[in-house]
Amino acid sequence: MSVEIFRTDKEMSRMDSTEEVADVARELVTFLTQTARPDVQAEAARHVLGLTGSETGRSLLVAQAGLLQALVKLMDAPPAAGAGSVGDAWRAMVNLCAEPNVHISMLAELPQLPVQLLGRALAPNWPWAGEAAAALANLSRESEPIRELLGKRLECSSDKASQEPSLALIVTALTTPGYNPHSPLHYLASLLSNLSHLPRVRAFLLDPNRRLIQRLLPLIHWPDSAVPRIGVVGTLRNCCFEHGSHEWLLGPQVELLTFLLMPLAGPEELTEEEMDRLPMDLQYLPPDKEREPDAEIRKMLIETIMLLTATAPGRKLVKDQGAYLVLRELHTWEPNPEVRLACEKLIQVLIGDEPEAGMENLLEVTVPPDVEQRLQQLDQQEQQQLQQEREEAGQP
Amino acid sequence: MEAPPQTPDRGEPGPREQAQQQQQEEEDAMDAFLDKFRSQPYRGRLHEDTWEQELDKIPMFMKKAPSEINPQENPELACLQSLIFDDERPPEEQARTYKDEGNDYFKDKDYKRAVASYTEGLKKKCSEPGLNAVLLTNRAAAHFHLGNLRSALNDVTAARKLKPDHLKAIIRGAICHLELKNFSEAMSWCDEGLRLDSKEKKLLDTRAKADKLKRAEQRDIRKAKMSQRKAEAQKEALLRAIQARNIRLEPRAPRKEEEEEDEEEPTTPQGGLGSENAIGAKVSLDEGGRLSWPTLLLYPEYGQTDFISAFHEDSRFMDHFMVMFEEPPPWDLERKYRPAHLELYFEEEAQQEVHQLGPESTLLQALQHPRYLVKAWTPAFLVLVKESPFSKSFLRGRKVHRLK
Repeated sequence: MSVEIFRTDKEMSRMDSTEEVADVARELVTFLTQTARPDVQAEAARHVLGLTGSETGRSLLVAQAGLLQALVKLMDAPPAAGAGSVGDAWRAMVNLCAEPNVHISMLAELPQLPVQLLGRALAPNWPWAGEAAAALANLSRESEPIRELLGKRLECSSDKASQEPSLALIVTALTTPGYNPHSPLHYLASLLSNLSHLPRVRAFLLDPNRRLIQRLLPLIHWPDSAVPRIGVVGTLRNCCFEHGSHEWLLGPQVELLTFLLMPLAGPEELTEEEMDRLPMDLQYLPPDKEREPDAEIRKMLIETIMLLTATAPGRKLVKDQGAYLVLRELHTWEPNPEVRLACEKLIQVLIGDEPEAGMENLLEVTVPPDVEQRLQQLDQQEQQQLQQEREEAGQP
Repeated sequence: MEAPPQTPDRGEPGPREQAQQQQQEEEDAMDAFLDKFRSQPYRGRLHEDTWEQELDKIPMFMKKAPSEINPQENPELACLQSLIFDDERPPEEQARTYKDEGNDYFKDKDYKRAVASYTEGLKKKCSEPGLNAVLLTNRAAAHFHLGNLRSALNDVTAARKLKPDHLKAIIRGAICHLELKNFSEAMSWCDEGLRLDSKEKKLLDTRAKADKLKRAEQRDIRKAKMSQRKAEAQKEALLRAIQARNIRLEPRAPRKEEEEEDEEEPTTPQGGLGSENAIGAKVSLDEGGRLSWPTLLLYPEYGQTDFISAFHEDSRFMDHFMVMFEEPPPWDLERKYRPAHLELYFEEEAQQEVHQLGPESTLLQALQHPRYLVKAWTPAFLVLVKESPFSKSFLRGRKVHRLK
């Protein structure tokens, strides 16, 4: 088989006839399954990967009969056999999963895909566990049905060895250093964040009898990569919609607020009297203390704290644990206008008066339509102002 | 008791009479027996006055065993003891007996004897690892109550080697580490125990306590570091202020505890760091950036001194004189030390040269005199009375630099 038959994706996009493209796609399927010629397989895999770089490429691949099966078969090949092609196959799958348009067709052809991916992601020896996790994160980001499917499966155990339900195993895999020495599992955090959109997942994570949330909290400080940090903070933010759990979360068994405030706290010196109002771990931070570098994460942290102030008891706990002091210093330092605005709003809640009777739980208050309109107007004005600030900052 | 005569006088008694006679005999025998009982004491009985002590000697009724069993005094007890601790019994049984004995001592809070019993049990080296683990763990508990925390830890560590899932050993170990303030170890032992039983209350409590104490300890360390940083920053600010004024400090021969500090400090021409004098008064920098010095005024005529604990550098000597010499001091026998008559001098190192200063000058001006050297962080000045005989003789032997 001569190599000229393969086309690069550039060439493919130059092709006018859809039929030509379809032909090439069919050939790719044949080459992918050529276990006798690993070099051919590797080329085919590389081309598939190239195609997944574009939206048209992705749609094309998914439409091609048999291609997904061939890909999955290659993905399951033992790692020794042609490591390059297996890796490319996995990376191609990750890209395919990122395309929301193809999710339905993918699921139609590979209904077991999410569950298989989950198994691979949690297998301690699988060298492509990280890619499996990334594929799952992509799948679960946009697609409600996939989340539902996973959600049902998560409460049973996928691991024959341990009796842990898969959801608990995800937390274990994330929080145990060296769980999988071959592959970093950062995207499990993103998966968790997406899954926490489901009420049943939140209920599972917030179960006081399981120590799941507590084990996730230290990941807020994950160095080097922002992916696990974003995932964990996103998960926590979603969990904080469950205001029934607020008192437990803010209490001594979880101490959520301390963990949320730590990345927002800086090295500033406060008076002794002010220090005493802070939680113990935030007192007398050294001069080299750095804040969370990613503005998006800082914003999510503030939003999470904001959620915790929805109920009166929660509000009191947040106030009593010295949140205002940390936010005050943050506000002085904060370079990002959006984050600064979120910070101001939260400070307003903390220093403002208590709302009147009947409004104790701000998440459940019904907003009268005229007030709603006015609020929307204010929001729009705010957005415009932010836009202006952004433009001003952008100009030299 | 006399039966009414019912029978006619005949030779042989009838069956009725026989029965009655038998009954009479029995009653008589009973009477005699009862009488005997009343008159003779029961030989094995306890005595009225000493019945409590005697009861205590009977093994069955003993409340407390005597610590040493004297076979002469307590033959029954010695007998029992030899039965229990018979060396011919299998080691497991003996070990178990020692364990029970230890537990009894433990209940009585006699921890020393408990340790001894458990040790005896362990000496039997019986083949049951579970039993040995219990002996070790119990001994560890006894050690704990005696305050021998290290011995207790050794014992539970050995117990865990024999039986890794022995929860009581893990609990005891965690509590020992907590007492020793090894908070991290305490928490990791608790975690290991919680893996076996995630709801064990003592482990959860101990872990929570250790966690809290550890964080308090870390907070205190951070606080101490901040205080230290602040103190150093203040010292540096002080040195900078002094340097900026070109005030010369006498380089101090560093004492041992100051040597380490000197290594860290930026090299100053003055060197030395201790900014306290013998009385503990310090030179200080106020919020406006002005210095105040502890200052000595010496009156060599009468061997007297005045100590001003915080002489503000912008105040004048005359201001102080006006207050201090409003009334003549008690040692001023000739009543001649009046503010207007006072002269101010300082001595230079070799004590051969003396410089005059104007009392109208401020402390700062005095300190900035090119020949002035601050010794021991405490400026000192001489005060003499103008034209007095003493001042003349005092100044005679020295080179005097007068004010022009």
